[in-house]
Amino acid sequence: MNDDELMSGVRDAFEILDPVPADVLAAARASIAWRTPSAALAELTRDRTGRAAAGVRGAAGRTLTFACPGSTVEIEVAEHGRHREITGRLVPSSAADVQVRHRDLPPGGITARAEPAGLFCVPGVPQGLVSLVFRLEDGSSIVTSWIRL
Amino acid sequence: MAQRDGTDELVARARDGDGEAWALLVERHSPLLWSIARSHGLNDADSGDVVQTTWLRLVERIDGLRDPAATGCWLATTARNESLRLVRRRGRDLPLVPAPRRPEPGPDRVVAARERLGRVGAALDALPRRCRTLLRLFALAPSHAELAAALGIPVGSVAPTRARCLDALRRLVP
Repeated sequence: MNDDELMSGVRDAFEILDPVPADVLAAARASIAWRTPSAALAELTRDRTGRAAAGVRGAAGRTLTFACPGSTVEIEVAEHGRHREITGRLVPSSAADVQVRHRDLPPGGITARAEPAGLFCVPGVPQGLVSLVFRLEDGSSIVTSWIRL
Repeated sequence: MAQRDGTDELVARARDGDGEAWALLVERHSPLLWSIARSHGLNDADSGDVVQTTWLRLVERIDGLRDPAATGCWLATTARNESLRLVRRRGRDLPLVPAPRRPEPGPDRVVAARERLGRVGAALDALPRRCRTLLRLFALAPSHAELAAALGIPVGSVAPTRARCLDALRRLVP
């Protein structure tokens, strides 16, 4: 057997032994629908897990910072079983419509409103991969990088 | 590997809203991404996570990509980074328990699979795990550049490693 035949045998064997599951492929195909060409991408710049204060019930809080040129999004994530509560703020402060996107939520996701000081709170977010979209008063939008919460 | 449409062309078409081009990209690259996750010892759920996250990262960047031809390498690097991130988190959150795998198939299915696996599949079984994992990545990566990205090694060291593993396999194939 030459190298190409060996390699094709290896490919075939793994395709039988451990194929990519159909649901994983389906999710990958569907992911293009999450595209937001007009929004600025805010990428994760910091992800810190703090210890819960002594005597406080519940898991340690997590603080994440996303940044794009001109704006920063800071969020704090609290765990409540399988759900997460996201509180955060937009810097510079601005009122905005906030949308939490998640594969297990309907296309509109969960929405909330950031007040003029830029503060917002979104309870009841299922654990998993999440991305936030902010639609600002001036018509611009910001989308955060996907993150597992 | 000869390809009908280049990855760069598919990316450009997907960016223009061509759903078929996107689906083709996903079908072409997902097996390598899945095997990169597997090469880090991740279970089904975590490997699915790595593949999903990698594609979402491409979606969030697709409109700003400067070099669509480098997308294959970029996907492999991203899958590797996401795998390492999960391995680190698993190491922190959980005691080191063996990752649950899907249930073992029944004996009749094993026999049927063995017949279909052929000589190469049987030989793979006799190789050390590391060599088997490397061969899988070698077989799926379209070029040495993608392979280097998947393994996190310099492109120059790909060829000798590949030759060593292929020799080991060749000795075992009747």
